[in-house]
Amino acid sequence: MFFHIVLERNMQLHPRYFGRNLRDHLVTKLMKDVEGTCSGRHGFVVAITGIESVGKGLIRDGTGFVTFPVKYQCIVFRPFKGEILEAVVTMVNKMGFFAEAGPVQMFVSNHLIPDDMEFQSGDVPNYTTSDGSVKIQKDSEVRLKIIGTRVDATEIFCIGTIKDDFLGVINDPATI
Amino acid sequence: MARRGEDEEEGYDMEPEEEGEDFDDDEEEEEPEEEEADRGKKRRRSDFIDDLAEEDDEDDEEEYDEEEDDDGGGRYRGGSRRSVAPKKRSGSHFFDLEAQVDSDEEEDEDEAEDDFIIDAGAELPDEDENRQIHRRPLLPREDDQEDVEALEERIKARYFRNTQLEYDEEATDVDQQALLPSVRDPKLWMVKCAIGHEREAVACLMQKCIDRGSEMQIRSAIALDHLKNYIYIEADKEAHVKEVCKGLRNIYSQKVMLVPIREMTDVLSVESKAVDLSRDTWVRMKIGKYKGDLAKVVDVDNVRQRVTVKLIPRIDLQALANKLEGREVVKKKAFIPPPRFMNLDEAKDLNIRVERRRDPMSGDYFENIAGMMFKDGFLYKTVSMKSISANDIKPTFDELEKFRKPGDGGEDVASLSTLFANRKRGHFMKGDAVIVVKGDLKNLKGWVEKVEEENVHIHPEMKGLPKTLAVSEKELCKYFEPGNHVKVVSGTQEGATGMVIKVEQHILIVLSDTSKEHIRVFADDVVESSEVTSGLTKMGDYELHDLVLLDNTNFGLIIRVESEAFQILKGIPDRPEVKTVKLREIKSKIDKKFSVPDRCKNTISVKDVVRIVEGPCRGKQGPVEHIYRGVLFVYDRHHLEHAGFICAKSVSCVVVGAPSRVNGERNGELFSRFSNLRPRNFPPSPRRFSREPPINSGGRFGGRGHDALSGATVKIRQGPFKGYRGRVVEVKGQLFRVELESQMKVVTVDRNMISDNFVTSTPYRDSRYGVGSATPMHPSRTPLHPYMTPMRDPGVPSSLTATPIHDGMRTPMRDRAWLPMSPPRDDDEDGNPGSWGSGTHYLPGSPPSRAYEAPTPGSGWASTPGGTYSETGTPRDSGSAYANAPSPYLPSTPGGQPMTPSSTAYLPGTPGGQPMTPGTGGLEIMSPAIGGENEGPWFMPDILVTLSRSGEESVGVIREVLPDGGCKVTLGSSNNGETVTVRPNEIEMVVPRKSDKIKIVGGALRGRNGKLMGVDGSDGIVKLDNLDVKILDLTFLAKLAQ
Repeated sequence: MFFHIVLERNMQLHPRYFGRNLRDHLVTKLMKDVEGTCSGRHGFVVAITGIESVGKGLIRDGTGFVTFPVKYQCIVFRPFKGEILEAVVTMVNKMGFFAEAGPVQMFVSNHLIPDDMEFQSGDVPNYTTSDGSVKIQKDSEVRLKIIGTRVDATEIFCIGTIKDDFLGVINDPATI
Repeated sequence: MARRGEDEEEGYDMEPEEEGEDFDDDEEEEEPEEEEADRGKKRRRSDFIDDLAEEDDEDDEEEYDEEEDDDGGGRYRGGSRRSVAPKKRSGSHFFDLEAQVDSDEEEDEDEAEDDFIIDAGAELPDEDENRQIHRRPLLPREDDQEDVEALEERIKARYFRNTQLEYDEEATDVDQQALLPSVRDPKLWMVKCAIGHEREAVACLMQKCIDRGSEMQIRSAIALDHLKNYIYIEADKEAHVKEVCKGLRNIYSQKVMLVPIREMTDVLSVESKAVDLSRDTWVRMKIGKYKGDLAKVVDVDNVRQRVTVKLIPRIDLQALANKLEGREVVKKKAFIPPPRFMNLDEAKDLNIRVERRRDPMSGDYFENIAGMMFKDGFLYKTVSMKSISANDIKPTFDELEKFRKPGDGGEDVASLSTLFANRKRGHFMKGDAVIVVKGDLKNLKGWVEKVEEENVHIHPEMKGLPKTLAVSEKELCKYFEPGNHVKVVSGTQEGATGMVIKVEQHILIVLSDTSKEHIRVFADDVVESSEVTSGLTKMGDYELHDLVLLDNTNFGLIIRVESEAFQILKGIPDRPEVKTVKLREIKSKIDKKFSVPDRCKNTISVKDVVRIVEGPCRGKQGPVEHIYRGVLFVYDRHHLEHAGFICAKSVSCVVVGAPSRVNGERNGELFSRFSNLRPRNFPPSPRRFSREPPINSGGRFGGRGHDALSGATVKIRQGPFKGYRGRVVEVKGQLFRVELESQMKVVTVDRNMISDNFVTSTPYRDSRYGVGSATPMHPSRTPLHPYMTPMRDPGVPSSLTATPIHDGMRTPMRDRAWLPMSPPRDDDEDGNPGSWGSGTHYLPGSPPSRAYEAPTPGSGWASTPGGTYSETGTPRDSGSAYANAPSPYLPSTPGGQPMTPSSTAYLPGTPGGQPMTPGTGGLEIMSPAIGGENEGPWFMPDILVTLSRSGEESVGVIREVLPDGGCKVTLGSSNNGETVTVRPNEIEMVVPRKSDKIKIVGGALRGRNGKLMGVDGSDGIVKLDNLDVKILDLTFLAKLAQ
């Protein structure tokens, strides 16, 4: 789920940036530092949409760096248990398949794939129904439901299922 | 003890009439419990006796041998046993006797013993009624006389008072307390007896009592099953005990110990609760050939204390057939057939008679083979309860799987509710999610609120139910939902964490966090946890993902640590091979940090991201975790097997991008630094320098296909980006577009500005040289050999780099780096024989296998830096003194060449001596560049060297290798010469000839001595001192001083 929230961060800025463009530098650095990161609480920071406020800078003894508390608005993406997402399959193997929805990696175990789909090894490993009408392979788009998340410092890993109504392949590259 | 209650009772009965019935009643009120307890004990005991006897009968070889052997003193037992032909009877006999004694003395007790069911029925009301009256504290009496009247009354009271019952109270603790023995009660004495004859001794006493009757002043005698060597006798005085023991040879009455009052109850309390065996319980066999095997109870006969269990048979059909046919059966005690299901057809094939019979009890059909019953392949065996253990049985998954009926998945292993029977205490914790699995509330979910001894109070999930419900622990099971993150806390997977992906009743399928594998665990074995671990990660000195040496030739990466073994991905490229090894099978951990050239001769160091471009794992990509002997262990998190590790040859990988790496950077810098120093320090090859500028100018690239350069890592020599390294993205005529490593941007630079350490990426793509695709590869390996040598020798000081020679040595390296790129050069003949010269040779015949062979023997080549390859050839050629050297090997077999240069070159060179210098020097030099600080000397003591100093050469023996790389050499081939200290570049190992004694100075066997049996191309056939014969690269062999 995406959220537009306000976060705060203490930015350290090198003295050489002090000047007219200080704010710009600050923002640039903030974007560089923050966008694409992941925190367990908020999920992935997708984009910074605005700066709420920049607090007073505090010069650090010894280094000359200045710390600014910056409040910024950003869009974060955090997967939740029970959420339904659309994702692109990145890898298929006998244990299930991996899919990605943006920065989030998901794994759908073969236990969570409908029983009528079977793993077919070969050049393009895939899961196929017995009648061959539905096929999940690399680059397929699937709709899945998250049943569990594990949040590490740097990534969020989810376990999904397609064993439910209205879940499964939504766009098969093979049929296009 | 059995009589204690009795005695007391009698005592009370003696009480004056005024207390009369009430008193009696009162007493009764206490009594039932005691009696019940008594009965329980008695029953157990007598049961046990029965059981014992039976057991004796049936597996006398097993346990109770000794008792049988000498029962001289045991009148009854021994007698009955001997006289009565079917042993079976002895047990009941025994039992009878005991009962007899009892009845002899008192009917009442007899009742209690035998008719306990009726008794109990009559008594229960008794108890309650008494409770209403409840009047008077107990006064235990010592008197021990029988009052017939009182007895009568009592019996009357017992059987005629069935009216108005109230079921309200239960015996309180206080009541219980009152029953405890006091100082006025008879005492319990512990008497020593012959080991194994405890029961017998007691039986003797019993018989004595019968025979002598009133003379005996003891109250009871007890033998405890768990106490060997002693029996207890209940009596008022020690003298009584001694008296009664007189004349019994099994009892040693010299030492009679009084049991303190406080401990008296302990003597007779049952320490472990009887295991309540029920059908479908999992048990383990304790004895016999099925010892330790898992079995499932199919029937319990509580009366006979026997159970019928279902086992996977361990039957050697062949042996059985032999036996049945009366053939000689070779008794192999040690051999226990593996468990497998009985195959009737197989049995029939062996002419074993299979009868099909109906079991009269259950009505099921069984196949009867030689007296054993089989059904569905399982063996049904009736055994004594004593021979199975039902406590703490934790069937593993494997065992349970095996127990599934073959060929039918119907029986769900998960539905093994009995698994809970053996749960640990404290299994449930407050807050655990649980589900009821048995009883009326089945499938009710809830949370644990409170845990008591047996019951667990749960807070049900469903509304409309009481706030908390008390549920027996056995009816509960932990409950997890898919998506829960759990940690396994017991069992084989202990320690692993993962996410639940499927719940099959009591079995969870968990996706392990680290291995991304499915693991199956019992719900009971896991707890919810947010922790992320991979389970065991360490055992002994080895940790998960360590690179370890298994033996001299095998190495591998630990991909899983199990409870007793490691799973190791062996270091065999292109063919994943996993081996399970025990801790002791691991020789050592490999901790060295090597770096190796990749396919494009870029340096690969640990942690570099590489892409595998060849072999079955082509396309995989990931950071290098370990490098050893030219084999990379690449971690690809998308690779699900082998914990994500892939083993690949370094030459089938390319470094992805060019992130700044310590090693790579250092190499690069070294090269450039040396290139600056070179002119000054490397006098022997002046010609080279003259050649250099054109090389660096880059003009040489003109003729090459541009594609070949893309992807190569280059360093910018001039201009605003001077000093930056980057990857060539595109080549446009004279301009290169280079993606800088450090800046994440692409810049355009002139070809002339690119410099140094330039290495082609994919030479094989080059159309012009396509035919010679092997060519570049060859050179790439060629040098490895020499390089590896230094690596192998630990201890070469890092300071080597500092020596001037080294700097000098760089030259060739540099040149050789360029050489392959510069086909148009006209001084090929001396310049790059190693590369191009040989390259052309390869074209027609070059057996690719040869190329591959090269790396194999050199176990240490892995650490060779990229880009340095044709070095061996170069210096030699360029050195004027080498004039003769090139010719012999240049045209020689191309394949063999890579390794030959050093050896072959030595041969001709040896006499001349000095020409060798650069060669060796070169080798030495490489070591620092290789990056291994502590790999070093390849000279070793006791080897014969040629020393070239100030133009003259002599033979010497290395006495000592100094830490700075120099050597102490004793001149002359014998030990009597003058000892001088020389620099490594001044000496050259003497190449051994056939049947020379040699020392191995490189490779895995470094340091071993042996004899050179013969020479095969560049390989030497060496017979080691331990008579092993090895084929080793000649460069690794040095002649040993005599």
